[in-house]
Amino acid sequence: MFIYLLKRVSLGLVIVVFAVTLLFCMIHLVPGDPARILLGPRATPEMIAHLSAQMGLDQPMAMQILKFFGNLLRGDLGMDVITNRPVAEIVFGQLPYTLWLIGSAIVGAMLIGIPLGCYSALHRNTWFDRFSGIISVACITAPAFVVALYSLLIFAVWLKWFPAVGAGEPGDFFDQISHLVLPAIAIGISWVGYLSRLVRASMLEVMGENHIRTARAYGLPENTVVYQYALKLAVLPTVTVIGVGMGFLLSAALFTEIVFSRPGIGKLIFDSITTRNYPVVMGSVLVSTIIFVISTAVSDLINAWLDPRIRNSL
Amino acid sequence: MTSSNISKQEPDGLSRRHFLKTTGALGMVAAASSASEVIFADGKKILKVRAYSDLRSMDPAFSQGVVDEEIHSCVYSKLIQYKPGRKWDYVLDAAESIEQASPTTIKFKLKAGIMFSNGYGEMTAEDVQFSYQRIIDENLKSTNKPDWGSLQEVTVDGKYEGTIVFSAPYPPAWNIALPYIVGNIVSKKAWQEAGGKVDTSTPCESGPYLHAEWQPKQRTVLRRNPQWHGGSAEFDEIHILPIDDENSAQIAYEAGDLDYTRVSLGAVGELKSNMPSHTVLEEYPSLFYVWVGMNVENETMANQNLRKAIQHAIDVPSIMQASYFGAAAPSTGIIAPGLTGNRAQGLVPPGANFAKAKEYLAAAGYADGVTVTLDVLNKAANVTTAQVIQATCAQVGITVDVNLHESGAFWSLGDSSSGERYKDIQLILNRYSMAPDPSYATAWFVTSQKGVWNWERFSDAEFDKLESAAKAEVDASKRDTMYQRMQDIMEDSGAYRFLTHEATPVVYSDAIKPAFRPDGLPLFRYFGQG
Repeated sequence: MFIYLLKRVSLGLVIVVFAVTLLFCMIHLVPGDPARILLGPRATPEMIAHLSAQMGLDQPMAMQILKFFGNLLRGDLGMDVITNRPVAEIVFGQLPYTLWLIGSAIVGAMLIGIPLGCYSALHRNTWFDRFSGIISVACITAPAFVVALYSLLIFAVWLKWFPAVGAGEPGDFFDQISHLVLPAIAIGISWVGYLSRLVRASMLEVMGENHIRTARAYGLPENTVVYQYALKLAVLPTVTVIGVGMGFLLSAALFTEIVFSRPGIGKLIFDSITTRNYPVVMGSVLVSTIIFVISTAVSDLINAWLDPRIRNSL
Repeated sequence: MTSSNISKQEPDGLSRRHFLKTTGALGMVAAASSASEVIFADGKKILKVRAYSDLRSMDPAFSQGVVDEEIHSCVYSKLIQYKPGRKWDYVLDAAESIEQASPTTIKFKLKAGIMFSNGYGEMTAEDVQFSYQRIIDENLKSTNKPDWGSLQEVTVDGKYEGTIVFSAPYPPAWNIALPYIVGNIVSKKAWQEAGGKVDTSTPCESGPYLHAEWQPKQRTVLRRNPQWHGGSAEFDEIHILPIDDENSAQIAYEAGDLDYTRVSLGAVGELKSNMPSHTVLEEYPSLFYVWVGMNVENETMANQNLRKAIQHAIDVPSIMQASYFGAAAPSTGIIAPGLTGNRAQGLVPPGANFAKAKEYLAAAGYADGVTVTLDVLNKAANVTTAQVIQATCAQVGITVDVNLHESGAFWSLGDSSSGERYKDIQLILNRYSMAPDPSYATAWFVTSQKGVWNWERFSDAEFDKLESAAKAEVDASKRDTMYQRMQDIMEDSGAYRFLTHEATPVVYSDAIKPAFRPDGLPLFRYFGQG
């Protein structure tokens, strides 16, 4: 297990270094002088040159990358050139909003999608199964931004049940939850359908396995067979998908953060790319990549914990 | 202010049936938040407004435009402030008196007893001197230095009295310096203690509100300043929410999360026909100017007859309908109505003249047609405008290929220090903002701005001479003539097809009494209860 963990961490580091280097090259290839964009139209050439030097843009790209990783080893993500605040402070200030958003979206989707899929599988070809199939596919095909806009119009503007914008009053838990509901629905609803279909298919497959038939033959109660034996195996692909899905959720969070004017790392990346605020782009993408790597590693570990066959193969 | 540009949705007359219906619905209404309730949330009078971006700096020397200034004007004092209304004017703020003593000097006397918060004492002429002179200090590298034009120094004549001295007459000081970004007065002592400049927080304030809180990407909170020299500010708090998308802001307004927001031009028609209750819609002319520029140094576009053909092939009224939903009017130049230098009409009429366009096209040697490119920022109105231009130019045989760019790439297209791309520009759809002085508009089109912001690479000796002279011209009538002539020169070169100044439609709850500049920008310090 220790060697497995070591392998995962090493692989994760390689992925992070590769992703950040690739991004570094990409943002430097895109046209647009960051110093000029940041300083605005009134800046003189001297001011632009001064800021370029401050951002290290006057150095070769390879040197800039090395410098970035060198600073990173010291825990320094650099300074935001617009507000002159440490990038780490900015990124970690925005990160909790996104983690709350995608966390509540995925937890909500699991709480609805997994039981739905399980129930559908156990009641295969009933009207409920067919109806949940239609609903699930409808949920999968609904783009997050469309759900976001319509949920805003219906639940915020028309019914006025939930607020439309922002993340809620700091320190007021219930206000923050009320601000979280619509954005979480917007990005979580497609996962409800996806998880329910996935669990249904897995359950149907597992329920046909020999060990399930054996358990039934031994006269074990149906609930024990389903929930202790079948479901445990049926959720394995779901755990993997959720781990990989964190990356997709980070993308979906971007649209949602824009539509709901919520703070968050997705919107931070978008805004900083638009303004060519390179230190913030690098810092926020680095943190996002690390989250993605951690979530996939955690999903692998959960799989190993749930399935002795995987655990033994490590 | 005229009734034609204000629309208001008021409750109908109160009949018995209406009364019963209304009473029955009260339970539901009480459960839902409404505009008037938002203001008195938590027992406080809170004004919730939208800004199109987040705060960037609390230092007037490094403030980047409108949003920062909307906050600064609430927390700092200036000698004079813009007067709310439909006509450009100013009102006294920190100044008890102020006058143009000579063409190059402005004398002022501060009101006694204006206090800086956090124990930084009373505002004196020394603070004014420090605030203005630091911006023109080369070592500070303030991007706002150009706003002070020919400012030389500020002399302190007494505790409250001082003189602003210019090296040459500078009439724009009254329009874009004293009442705007660089006119904010900060505490010398506080700024020196902070190391000469500040970032996103401020050590002290002197305006009607204090800068209480800034949550990045979420909100800025201004709180009533109990020490304000002007009395008691109207609201306990102002919450300024950064919402970049106008449609999201409109939804937030309709959901009751905001008391005021600017809305998109496309929403005006729908709002007029289906106005949310207790809402007032107002439309203001904007200072933005939108035009199609043509790169006179590009091999194809160097042909003046081709440029003139394009000028006449572009149908501005069609663009106003398609892109601005009829809510904006065609412009005659880069200087908006209401400002010195605005032309009553341009040299090229707004409507297309295809016969004339074909004549110019034939004279240019392209009787059989020509293909040109149009670079456009990827915003909805711009894309629609480009499509209309494509359609009308096609009628005379000009094929327009549209190149879309995201903002970062677009805003460096014409920058000659960012590569060779500026040479490839042929047509470009552009939109600049400006402050209420004509010099702010013309400054970008002088020869020295070629490859900086003059992307048409337009160069005219008379224009350059007039631009320099008009800034220092104290005779308003002569100044007006000079700026009109400059726009004639621009248009006659064929390098510009002026489109519009757009418009600023705003909505607000009738529970508040807003205050706007003549271009529709909000002056939050003057917002009150309805």
